[in-house]
Amino acid sequence: MSGPNEDNNTQLSSHIFGDLLDSIIVDVASECHRIAKLGLDRNLEEEEEEMRLSAQARARVADPSNSSETNTKYVVDIFGQTHPSVATEIFECMNCGRSIAAGRFAPHLEKCMGKGRKARLKVTRSSTAAQNRYSRGSPVSTYSPYSNSTSTNRLSNGTPSVAGEEYSNGTYEEPWNKT
Amino acid sequence: MKHSVNRPPTPDAAEDQGKEPTLQEIINIKLIESGEKERLMELLRERLIDCGWKDEMKALCRAHVKKKGRTNVTVDDLVHLITPKGRASVPDSVKAELLQRIRTFLMSAAL
Repeated sequence: MSGPNEDNNTQLSSHIFGDLLDSIIVDVASECHRIAKLGLDRNLEEEEEEMRLSAQARARVADPSNSSETNTKYVVDIFGQTHPSVATEIFECMNCGRSIAAGRFAPHLEKCMGKGRKARLKVTRSSTAAQNRYSRGSPVSTYSPYSNSTSTNRLSNGTPSVAGEEYSNGTYEEPWNKT
Repeated sequence: MKHSVNRPPTPDAAEDQGKEPTLQEIINIKLIESGEKERLMELLRERLIDCGWKDEMKALCRAHVKKKGRTNVTVDDLVHLITPKGRASVPDSVKAELLQRIRTFLMSAAL
């Protein structure tokens, strides 16, 4: 063998590395082959089935004879169910409290909440009702100056406290400024 | 006369023919006997798993199996499928590490 020892070594090393890699490749191939033959790869089966079904569905959709003649009301979905074109579940409107069918809900809300002429009249009534609701219920009255407040915000002993202060109104002042 | 009469004599076992074991064969034997080959294989296997190489190869196999159908696939198919891509996609760092170990071994084996 000619050539310096270094070259030889490098070549030899590469060759040995190649051998190792080939052995590992054969191992991996053998393992995959085993899994395939024993059917251990469960996803494989499911995917095949799904691909078949999706191909079927696609064929059905692409088929021109299907689309125009079937009544759109009776189109079958992927689970084989048919739905009426107007949804029939019944809900209670949170604004007026009436029972409304789901399919009629959007138009109902339009009338009930804002768009229509009749709804505008309703709005003025309900907004004052909302204001009354808010001011009565809160623990800190909206416009009273800080010194008159009897709430727990008053800390004249000077201990600064941060907890709970976030909830008070805009006229709040730092407690330690009030000594 | 039949041509077969003139065929060369059946070769005896390799040693008797005077064929020296090649350097490669000697090294291979040393690798195996010292246990280094096993260690190197395990190291390479571990590195290839860590870097995701094995998963890539398995994915290739699965795709092939899906295409050809489970019953038609042979180990040979898969080996031929993986070998070129497998050889090409070994990360450089892994290759360097293994080559380094091998070179060290060769030098210590006093060649």
